[in-house]
Amino acid sequence: MIEARELYKSFSGVHAVQGVSFIARDGEITGIIGPNGAGKTTILRMIYTVLAPDSGKTLVDGIDAELDRRAVQRRLGVMPDVRGLYPRLTAREHVRYFGELHGLEAHEIERRTAELVDTLAMADFIDRRAKGFSRGQQMKVALARALVHNPHNVILDEPTNGLDVGTSRSVRELLRRFRREGRCVLLSSHIMQEVAALADRIVILSDGRVALQGTPDELRESTGVDELEDVFMAATMALPADRAAPAALGAVAD
Amino acid sequence: MSTIAIVFRKEMTDNLRDRRSILVAMIYPLMGPLLLGLLFSFVGSMLKTEHGPGRPVEVAVVHAENAPEFTRFLEAHGVVIRPAPDDPKAAVQRDELPFALVLPERPAAASATPLEVTVVTDPARLDSIVASGQILDILRDYERETTAARLRAKGLDPGVMTSLRVMHENVGRAANLGFMFLNMIPPFLMFTLFIGGVYLTLDATSGERERGSFEPLMINPVTRSQVLIGKLAAAVVFTLLALAVQVVAFWIMLHSIPREALGIGTLPSVMHLSLLVPVCVPLAVFAVATQLIITAVTRSIKEAQTYLGLLPLVPGIAGMILVFVPVKVHSFLASIPTFGQTLLMGQMMRSEAVSWSLIGVSVLATLAFTLALLALGFRLYEREGILFPS
Repeated sequence: MIEARELYKSFSGVHAVQGVSFIARDGEITGIIGPNGAGKTTILRMIYTVLAPDSGKTLVDGIDAELDRRAVQRRLGVMPDVRGLYPRLTAREHVRYFGELHGLEAHEIERRTAELVDTLAMADFIDRRAKGFSRGQQMKVALARALVHNPHNVILDEPTNGLDVGTSRSVRELLRRFRREGRCVLLSSHIMQEVAALADRIVILSDGRVALQGTPDELRESTGVDELEDVFMAATMALPADRAAPAALGAVAD
Repeated sequence: MSTIAIVFRKEMTDNLRDRRSILVAMIYPLMGPLLLGLLFSFVGSMLKTEHGPGRPVEVAVVHAENAPEFTRFLEAHGVVIRPAPDDPKAAVQRDELPFALVLPERPAAASATPLEVTVVTDPARLDSIVASGQILDILRDYERETTAARLRAKGLDPGVMTSLRVMHENVGRAANLGFMFLNMIPPFLMFTLFIGGVYLTLDATSGERERGSFEPLMINPVTRSQVLIGKLAAAVVFTLLALAVQVVAFWIMLHSIPREALGIGTLPSVMHLSLLVPVCVPLAVFAVATQLIITAVTRSIKEAQTYLGLLPLVPGIAGMILVFVPVKVHSFLASIPTFGQTLLMGQMMRSEAVSWSLIGVSVLATLAFTLALLALGFRLYEREGILFPS
């Protein structure tokens, strides 16, 4: 379970995140959606401990990141927006490197790599160097190394960004499997259709604030709009103002 | 396996596959020995074959027929007289002759008048300096002997004409030409210390940030200083590898040049060379720590590269000055990182007794500076923004 409580963060005077709270539950997929620059990546970075919030706190499985960062990092598998691979290392070496940094034994890493090669269909490039990998292949390597320690909580920033239809679909299937396994999945996207197709809960961000959150049905109900994309448009265009938000939020508060 | 060891191993594997890192660590260090080797061989062969001691000096003499006594004296002292071109000045200027002697146009009228001899040289040319230097010695001998003979003919003691006899006794070692050549080596070693691991540092820090791989790396349960130490250790290993390649190359070079002609007597012994370890290892860490600071305060690989390329010039220039202006080592100078090492390396090259206390001062001072730089570098790397490509 991942929890954000009243998060605030500014960068040299720009208020990127202003009082964001939400809970991503186990056995559910939670989607954060918002236009570019709404603060999605900043919020995820605070949760996966590479940014410290100005105020507020983040908890993973009830552990406060500020108090025990290592424990939080061990429980998280993260695929950031920028995949960041090493061009001269093979896909297998990427997975092994992160496995070792998580303190896994060599045989454990081998076993996990074999599983991930199978799950993510990486057999034909697992021993090739990352230089020249397609975006899909890069994403798979980044995902595989994020999952090598079999984390209970999985965070993906823009997981299907730039992927072809087939690869996007296999990512979605994998995330559904995680949900069945009872894991907590938190992902961000700027495409409503993608989130709508997957998420059990949706957090709509606008200008660093939560404009709306709830299950897809709750969102439709509270706004009176059937199409989620229209909900998104309504929330992000009209709502950042202080007037409309409280009413809508009140209806779907946790 | 500890985090540091894991990161170290990954950086070694990664960079041993990088042609640029290998080039800088294995091929660049060969340039210094190669260039100095060519220079030494060229200078040495010129000093040896053309005008070395015991070989006849060939001299172009204009109007040799006008001073038969003088030319006989020259020939008796091993000089071979060659006919000179019409315009000896132009010939020397055009590099056709190293130098020329011009005698008077008419035979000397009386035996007691001085013989006017003009030596046409080009001091910009080494062979001109060497050859004319030898002939000047012979001219001085001629003058002394002729004057003495004339004085004796008049019944005087030749001693009355000698009011001063200057004797040279050279006790300074560095004044020797050979030592000047050997002093050229430490600046190259210094350059290699600052350049040998630079691509690894650059790739592992600025490169890691620019690729966006620093962020996922730091989400693992590790601390930034553990990761940085692993990376720096790999850079130090590459630096020392480059240094070892260069030392071996210099060793081979020094054994294959005409050493006697250059005035290089004894070569540094293996014992002396082993002193390079305490002198250079702390400096390699110091160099890498400096590189880390530069990568921390610059925003991209390109920006960092600009400064990293200039960095080795600072200690290198100090070393180049020491080639011409030798300085006595004392503990204050030894405690300045890079400068102290240049001085100590110079002593080793010249096979002088190296003081252990000076080496101790150099090691301790360099380590202290290094620790301060690392502390600063680690602090700079704790900044939040450093993880993300800008």
